[in-house]
Amino acid sequence: MGSDRLLVIGAGPAGLEAARLAASLGSQVLVVEKRDVAGGMPIHENYAALTHGFRDAGEAMAELIGAVTSHPNVELRTSTEVTAVEGSVGEFTVTLSSGTGDDTVEAGAIILATGFQHFDPGRETQQYGYYEFPDVITLADAEAMLKAHNFVRPSNGEVPERVAFIQCVGSRDRQIGNEFCSKVCCGISSKQAIEVRQQVPDARVFIFYIDMRMYGYWENEIYWPAQEQYRVNYVKGIVTEILSKNGRLLVRGEDTTMGRPMEVPMDIVVLAVGMEPSLGTRKMAEMLGVATNKYGYIETPHGELDTVATSVPGVFAVGAATGPADLDDSISSAGAAAAKAVALLRGAEVTV
Amino acid sequence: MTSIIPVESLKTKPFRVDPSEAPTEDIREVLFELEEAGEIIVQRVPEPYVEVMTKYGRTKKIPLGQTWHHKSCGQCGHIPGYSTSIFWLTRKLGYDYIDPKDQTSCTAWNYYASATSNVAAQGGVAMRNFAAAYETGYFPLIHCGTSYGHYKEVRHEIVHHDDVRATVRDIMSKLGKPLVMPEEIVHYSEWVHAVRDQIAQHQVRDFSDIVACVHPACHYYKLIQEDAIYDPDIYGGQRTATVSGLILALGAEVADYSTFFDCCGFGFRHILVSRDFSRSFATMRKIEVMKEEANPDVVITHDTGCVTTLDKSQFAPQAHGRNVGVPVMSDAQFAALAMGAHPYRVCQLHWHSTDYRPLLEKMGIDWEAAWIEFEKDLKRLEANEIEYLTWEDVDG
Amino acid sequence: MSRAAPTTTFARRPGATLAPNAYDDVPYEEKLALWEEVKADPRFPDYLYGCYECGICVAACPSARFYDFSPRKIAQAAAREDVELIFEQMNDDVWNCSQCFSCDRCPRQNSPGGLITILREVAVRHGLASSQEALEGYGRVVYKIMTTGTQVSPDMLQPDAFPDWGPDVKEVSDQLDLWRRALPPETLHTTSTGWEVSEKTLLELYLIWHYSDVMDMIEEVDEGLHMIIMDVMEETLEEAGYEI
Repeated sequence: MGSDRLLVIGAGPAGLEAARLAASLGSQVLVVEKRDVAGGMPIHENYAALTHGFRDAGEAMAELIGAVTSHPNVELRTSTEVTAVEGSVGEFTVTLSSGTGDDTVEAGAIILATGFQHFDPGRETQQYGYYEFPDVITLADAEAMLKAHNFVRPSNGEVPERVAFIQCVGSRDRQIGNEFCSKVCCGISSKQAIEVRQQVPDARVFIFYIDMRMYGYWENEIYWPAQEQYRVNYVKGIVTEILSKNGRLLVRGEDTTMGRPMEVPMDIVVLAVGMEPSLGTRKMAEMLGVATNKYGYIETPHGELDTVATSVPGVFAVGAATGPADLDDSISSAGAAAAKAVALLRGAEVTV
Repeated sequence: MTSIIPVESLKTKPFRVDPSEAPTEDIREVLFELEEAGEIIVQRVPEPYVEVMTKYGRTKKIPLGQTWHHKSCGQCGHIPGYSTSIFWLTRKLGYDYIDPKDQTSCTAWNYYASATSNVAAQGGVAMRNFAAAYETGYFPLIHCGTSYGHYKEVRHEIVHHDDVRATVRDIMSKLGKPLVMPEEIVHYSEWVHAVRDQIAQHQVRDFSDIVACVHPACHYYKLIQEDAIYDPDIYGGQRTATVSGLILALGAEVADYSTFFDCCGFGFRHILVSRDFSRSFATMRKIEVMKEEANPDVVITHDTGCVTTLDKSQFAPQAHGRNVGVPVMSDAQFAALAMGAHPYRVCQLHWHSTDYRPLLEKMGIDWEAAWIEFEKDLKRLEANEIEYLTWEDVDG
Repeated sequence: MSRAAPTTTFARRPGATLAPNAYDDVPYEEKLALWEEVKADPRFPDYLYGCYECGICVAACPSARFYDFSPRKIAQAAAREDVELIFEQMNDDVWNCSQCFSCDRCPRQNSPGGLITILREVAVRHGLASSQEALEGYGRVVYKIMTTGTQVSPDMLQPDAFPDWGPDVKEVSDQLDLWRRALPPETLHTTSTGWEVSEKTLLELYLIWHYSDVMDMIEEVDEGLHMIIMDVMEETLEEAGYEI
């Protein structure tokens, strides 16, 4: 084996967790992050509370970042990009570029934790007018406002009386090409609906959905409290279009369980945008020659019993780089990849 | 008022589309492959052309001249100022065109109304017209939104179903014609959009006081949506820019209303045999909503059925005291009026129902004097001093 | 022979407490055969994938606001292959559709409007009573388009045909010849067609109708209409040396 160093690309929750675990197991770990701060989407996109436990996102991520940066086995380089990779398992040669110039490092194994990006609602095939109407926002926009305890209509700063969430924007949509379910949006919308009701108790909150996908404990921890305690209204039917009327948003769709068209005014509409592979995920996959699926996510081709090995030996992928994933999934896959990568670096046969 | 709005920075971000992320195939590439394989002839867009952006960020070529005008049944039959204005604009801007007699209807109005046809026949009719255009060397410019939408459907069937292609080719060979598909299927309103700045340069009437509501035609932007024109600067790139772009270029105001995406109520069969539906829909879902929310001087649209339905449907509801009374015309007529066209000789507004005279007054047009002029034309025609009103009469 | 629907399809109105099926007298095999014909259309696979009842098509649909009509139910019935319900829809609902294709924004990429085009076409091809009813009063339009190559003509603007369009219709019809002559484009001086279509062009159109079996469809829904159209066409075709 050439190098016993593990390279982790991406310092979001999954990358940080992989680094923390590999370091705890005694490996030397280099974490490379393109952005100037670690923490990934929860930090970059100003998440308020984490789904599903409602823990403060900043606080939770600070803890994880602290555990990584304080570990003597870990080196974290921010504002740094991987620009070339050569070699193969056990002896990768990796070129890193940063503001201060290029650098070459050796690594025995690589973990890709390059994550996702939010679907850009300008590409929806419904007519939601995200770029037309200031009061049409995304889940990420809403997180930022909730975190600031400033959940107001962006058009005029007023406190909303009626708030709607629209599910499956950019997901489960053949016309857009994202046929997959993004897994987390039902939970996050419901979590945000609860937060809206906590911060703006007089607001009425609606969630328009095709299917509510609230697995396992999300059901009793989020869905039921949202309905029973916070009186969030769930309406089965996807909104067809949003236009403006008398200074408010007019939301038009079918209330399918009642079997009738509906037109209701709203002050804020939150589009539950789905996940897509990030630009970093696409670039790294191409650079490393790792197989991707038709959506651009990194494939883990070895079946249900190996969720982290890619098509290239010595390269693992974790979290939302492999497909829509919630935080629990991302952290779990990071652990699995860290253990396998460390075993590989120590010369063990890693079964794939 | 709250001073800090955390998402403000996102809101100033203009929408940009990346054609490499388009979710659909680029049908032109498929056409060229079929041409390479000897399956079909692709008629190229003649130069000069203007490149415009379509829904997914792709570029579409809009020919300026050398156009073969594929006329519309309803326009020519019932609102002939519509077609006349398109021709007038083309002549005024100095572009060469053909107004063919070797053209039939696309027959799609009948097909969508009665279903008394089939894929092979519809393909045959479309390809016969395209072959007729090809034989002249001029490029099809399609006046009707339904023809435009339907021809895109036909193109899809012919490109993607070998058996349909074989059947239609067989029909065409029996007519002694080749199987030809234009490189782009172009609606006249796209041509208007492409030359809107030229139109504005020739503008002689001030439209800055005019408030217009736009009705976009369903068969233009919903039926095979990727060919329609979009522009990041118009509606943030989120709605088709056609028609609205022209009105803005002419300095008029485009007023929004909450049923913008609703159909006009034409219904194909309904407008002919179930007009209670068309009338109710046009009144209650379109005109009344526009009046209540925007109070426009005029409704501008870009398809045959939409002009007809929105205009004619406003008579009967008056008996019920409904809030109607907004004149309706096409973008071509609106543009022609801006360039100084005669409201009767060119725009032929006497074929329209809803009172357009207050609008003309607001545009600074003396409609009474114009009507007297036109009546003189009619007198000369009646006395057989002239057989027809000619372009020379119009321009003189 | 009539028999009960097989268990793989949803039996329509199965319980005795519900209203009887309006089309019980039509044998199941006949309904099934129509459905098979719909599915055999080359466009069918592009028009129907699956339906998860999101209702996006319904709020966009003009007909859903004025009729007991739902594009979602059209897609859902087709997705379930509910042959009995589809037959009912072919006999009623499909003629309410506006064919505007506002429903084409379906996230599953269904086209309920496109499905309806096919359903109507099959209804016409088999001369279902509904199609004959729906086309009642429409025959002259079919005649016009098939024999002249233009759908509506200026001389159709008659006050008795369009009383709801106001007094202007009468003025147009009174002045028709004159007003048509006052149109600068030389193809528009016609009154019985939308524009002037050349003889050779018409001949080619007639050949297309013949070569594509459209005449058989017309015969199914309206024999009288079929006869008149055939007469007009035969004369032109025979003069040109064609024998159909």
